[in-house]
Amino acid sequence: MTNDMSLSKALNAGLRAAMAADETVVLMGEDIGRLGGVFRVTDGLQGEFGAYRVMDTPLAESGIVGMAIGLAHAGFRPVVEIQFDGFVYPAYDQIVTQLARHFARSGGGLQVPVVIRIPYGGGIGAVEHHSESPEAQFVMTPGLKVVTPATPQDGYWMIQQAIAADDPVIFMEPKRRYWQTGEVDVDASPPSLWSSVVRREGTDATLIAYGPTVTTCLEAAEAAEADELDLEVIDLRTLSPLDLAPVYASVRRTGHAVVVHEAARTLGLGAEIATRITQECFYSMEAPVQRVTGYDTPYPPSRAEDEYLPGIDRILDTVEALLSDEWVTESPSGAGRWGRVG
Amino acid sequence: MGDARAHPGGAPVQRCVQLLTPDGDRIDDPEFAYDGDQEAIAQLFRQMVLIRRIDTEGFALQRHGELGLWPPLLGQEAAQVGSTAALGPDDVVYPTYREAGVAWLMGVDLADLIGQWRCSTLGSWDMRRHRFGPLSIVIGAHPLHATGYALGLKLREEEGVVLTHFGDGASSQGDVMEALEFGALDQVPVVFFCQNNQYAISLPATRQSAVPIVQRASGFGMPGVQVDGNDVLAVQAVTAAAIDRARAGGGPTLIEALTYRMGPHTTSDDPTRYRDDAEVESWRARDPIDRVRKLLQRLGTPSTFFADVDAEAETLGAHVREVCSALPEPDLAAWFDHVYAEQTDELRAQRGEYVAWRSQYGGVA
Amino acid sequence: MSEFALPDVGEGLTEAEILTWRVAVGDVVAVNDVIVDIETAKSVVELPTPYAGVVSAILVDEGQTVPVGTPIIAIGAEEGASDDSTSAGGPATDREPTLVGYGPRTTAARRRRKIPPDLGTVVPLHGEDGGVRRILAKPPVRKLAKVLGINLADVHPSGPFVTRADVEAFAAARSQTGVTVPADMFLPATNPDVRVPVKGVRKAMAESMSTSAFTAPHATEWITLDVSRTVDLAERLRVDPSFEGIRVTPTVIVAKAVCLAMRHAPTLNASWLDVSDAGDHIGEILLHGSVNLGIAVATERGLIVPNIPAAEKLSMVELAQAVDRLTSIAREGRIQPAETTGGTFTITNVGVFGVDGGTPILNVGESGILAVGAIQRRPWVMPDDSLAARWVTTLALSFDHRIADGAEAARFLTDVADILRDPATALTY
Repeated sequence: MTNDMSLSKALNAGLRAAMAADETVVLMGEDIGRLGGVFRVTDGLQGEFGAYRVMDTPLAESGIVGMAIGLAHAGFRPVVEIQFDGFVYPAYDQIVTQLARHFARSGGGLQVPVVIRIPYGGGIGAVEHHSESPEAQFVMTPGLKVVTPATPQDGYWMIQQAIAADDPVIFMEPKRRYWQTGEVDVDASPPSLWSSVVRREGTDATLIAYGPTVTTCLEAAEAAEADELDLEVIDLRTLSPLDLAPVYASVRRTGHAVVVHEAARTLGLGAEIATRITQECFYSMEAPVQRVTGYDTPYPPSRAEDEYLPGIDRILDTVEALLSDEWVTESPSGAGRWGRVG
Repeated sequence: MGDARAHPGGAPVQRCVQLLTPDGDRIDDPEFAYDGDQEAIAQLFRQMVLIRRIDTEGFALQRHGELGLWPPLLGQEAAQVGSTAALGPDDVVYPTYREAGVAWLMGVDLADLIGQWRCSTLGSWDMRRHRFGPLSIVIGAHPLHATGYALGLKLREEEGVVLTHFGDGASSQGDVMEALEFGALDQVPVVFFCQNNQYAISLPATRQSAVPIVQRASGFGMPGVQVDGNDVLAVQAVTAAAIDRARAGGGPTLIEALTYRMGPHTTSDDPTRYRDDAEVESWRARDPIDRVRKLLQRLGTPSTFFADVDAEAETLGAHVREVCSALPEPDLAAWFDHVYAEQTDELRAQRGEYVAWRSQYGGVA
Repeated sequence: MSEFALPDVGEGLTEAEILTWRVAVGDVVAVNDVIVDIETAKSVVELPTPYAGVVSAILVDEGQTVPVGTPIIAIGAEEGASDDSTSAGGPATDREPTLVGYGPRTTAARRRRKIPPDLGTVVPLHGEDGGVRRILAKPPVRKLAKVLGINLADVHPSGPFVTRADVEAFAAARSQTGVTVPADMFLPATNPDVRVPVKGVRKAMAESMSTSAFTAPHATEWITLDVSRTVDLAERLRVDPSFEGIRVTPTVIVAKAVCLAMRHAPTLNASWLDVSDAGDHIGEILLHGSVNLGIAVATERGLIVPNIPAAEKLSMVELAQAVDRLTSIAREGRIQPAETTGGTFTITNVGVFGVDGGTPILNVGESGILAVGAIQRRPWVMPDDSLAARWVTTLALSFDHRIADGAEAARFLTDVADILRDPATALTY
């Protein structure tokens, strides 16, 4: 049976299914109970499962995550909501020094199957600290797994799979896509949580995206048809571990790869992916891997965010530059890349 | 009076300081007194009316799509005005994000304030000049900054005192508790002013803390005072006392001002989902401005005074709208220039790359 | 106060003329009230206002043409705006406000228009790095060069970097001469002359070619023919199970044809023997009993001609195997010198170089050499006088005119051509 639903509703349905299936699943977070979450992702769940399975917590992220770790030790499967990406940092210590390491330091004896849900990314015209993309910081922390759904179908299934996983999972939810609708098949057999998928097939270049930029890349591919460019779009879905086999297969065919993410350029996931593609597909590469990302500044005031974030124009201008070999340049400043100065 | 707050744990609070009842009657308190004259009270009234008007305009501007959001201060005017009235000329304020009233009272340019909620800037006023810190969006991060600043004043043997605002929700953050600890340990000249407006978005204050927030004070090693946050006279009185104490080297005080967030958390919140109208109405009966109006009328303030204040509020409202409409759009290129005090080659290059790219499109879309 | 900018109404507008204002300063407007008529390239369009309020300024006069994106009207909020959260009006944007901001923008899958570039300021993108000529080539091209044993520095690039085509052209040219021609040789005549020493394979080739050319009087005859059926046959044999694992090319069928035709042309499979004693004959013709069929192969080190002994005795499969084997191991440089001696006739495939034919020089000691040109699609007159596109090639037979005459050569050549034209002819032999 399929329903057309928004990502927010799909996550809500997935949480409901997970909680109904396993009574050790408990939710914790700020405003998730009575209010149903500031994005309504936990809407109605406290009414259905009670205040001890859907807990409104004090305003203390470190406390919430630390408490979840303890609950996990005691045999529960806690699902923590961090209200916004920019507010995860008080909990960073608990996540990185504790959550990520208990399994390893105990030689496998102590499992911490905690899911931390984080709405992330920009594009909603928000005030400061509500548009961050901190995923790389978790990907580079061994012991954590990181996944990000881009569609309602993936939202519905991936949250259930993440909860069922025995490892701690950072579940990044692209908040600008919460209202985007899509078909959700609640009877499907979903693909593995740790797998990437080709969203659109194409022949000229491979766009590699995750979370919010998957839709952006699909829009770019649609716009590119008018310019007779045929672009392949891959949705990574899982950031740690990465599943790059479809990416390699794609780049070996197209010879051109562009990674698109909202996070800043330096040491964003594009850096890791570009390196791996170069190592695996070197002799197929007609051009270096390019990245279309946020710039290396703090997130700007959101009235200026449209040009900070990767958009259709910047993505397609980059693809065209790659295909026309405009990347061949000796110019040190890089300003010559676009063929004009000033 | 004294609102005995029912909390899951701890003994009821001894007393909540009040000097002006909701009906506008002056009452005495064993420890605190308001010594301003009628003119001073009229000023407090005027300031509360004006900041309420700024708040109303900000809220409406968001409805018009001019601002991204607005966090209303409706109902909390006495806490903002009373605490600010107690400040000396060298004293500094570290706000949360809801102290638009305090910002205006301390001379922050409305354009800077409105620009932040328009999402054109992230807060660009000169902190040194206005003695008003940046709006704090990450809840509870700033009381540590306030305490550090106060330590600096102490090290330089300066006269100033730092007053930091924070809410009931923020009081749960570890950073806030660490600020209380640092402040108490070093007898730093800081005043911790907690506006308990009863809600952290949807979470009632009774679910935020097992004891009244003021009771934490002794745990950290400082005096605590609970005050009727809707009573501007009492707020000023207890704040002045705390500031005097800090200035004299007596260290910090924790003030818990009981008030109510009459509006939503921000413009897109829906409080009907988690609180009922009866509760809101019961606090409307304790409105901070009404009681002062009643007092002033009883003291014989002419009606022309009230008319003048209303007219001034109208003018201020129009001014707020004008200021908003004159705000320029932000230039992303300029954003590259203030990441570092000394810009890096890398950033310079990225800026150039961005500018070159957008020049194909004739500037910003 | 809000300014309403001239939108692109979806026709790919870049500008429009303001025809008629339907409102004036001071008018109160509600969202979606029509405020102006504009004229585009195609039609007159009514524009509704996204804002409610009071018109505070008309920014563009009637009759003016302005670009898309130009603010055309300013509308201010009505006086006494209330804080009622249900107040009507407000810009009809596509953004749904959230707790923390304006809300997400719904984006159209469209690119922005670029302003036409001022070509005068375009800066060239490639340059040399401080006078050092760096060789630029993409990884797949570098790999190809490595596999072919080519030094990229020797390849003349056709553009800013060395392309696959450049490398392949270099490889083809090099296989002909057997020597690495320095890239400098392609530069204009302002460069000094270059002397290349003749050694090794090139020396051997020069010596044998000279001996042959200046000893045996060469004549060459040509025939151009439709070899579609030969091409067909090669394809069928390629997938035939008996030929599995063997590369079957038209050359194999040419080889078979040569062996068959040779039965009627022994003078094409002969050698001239100088006789030293005086008498009334100046030499002898040695008619060979076998056709030791030489196949000329272009290799990295130059042209070599290994031969298949007694090729006329081999079955089609064996012949194909032999040709395949020779060409493969020759390219790998594994031909033994013994395999290049004792040949009696040579087939040289000049078609792989893309040429139609040539005047081949006899392998020393042989009396015939058959050059097979490129097999190409060409228009051909069919038996019923219709025109059709057929696989056509030219055969060129050079022969030693001391040993064979034009008529014998022609008979051999036409016999070979008959078989290639219609392989069934082989059954008549």
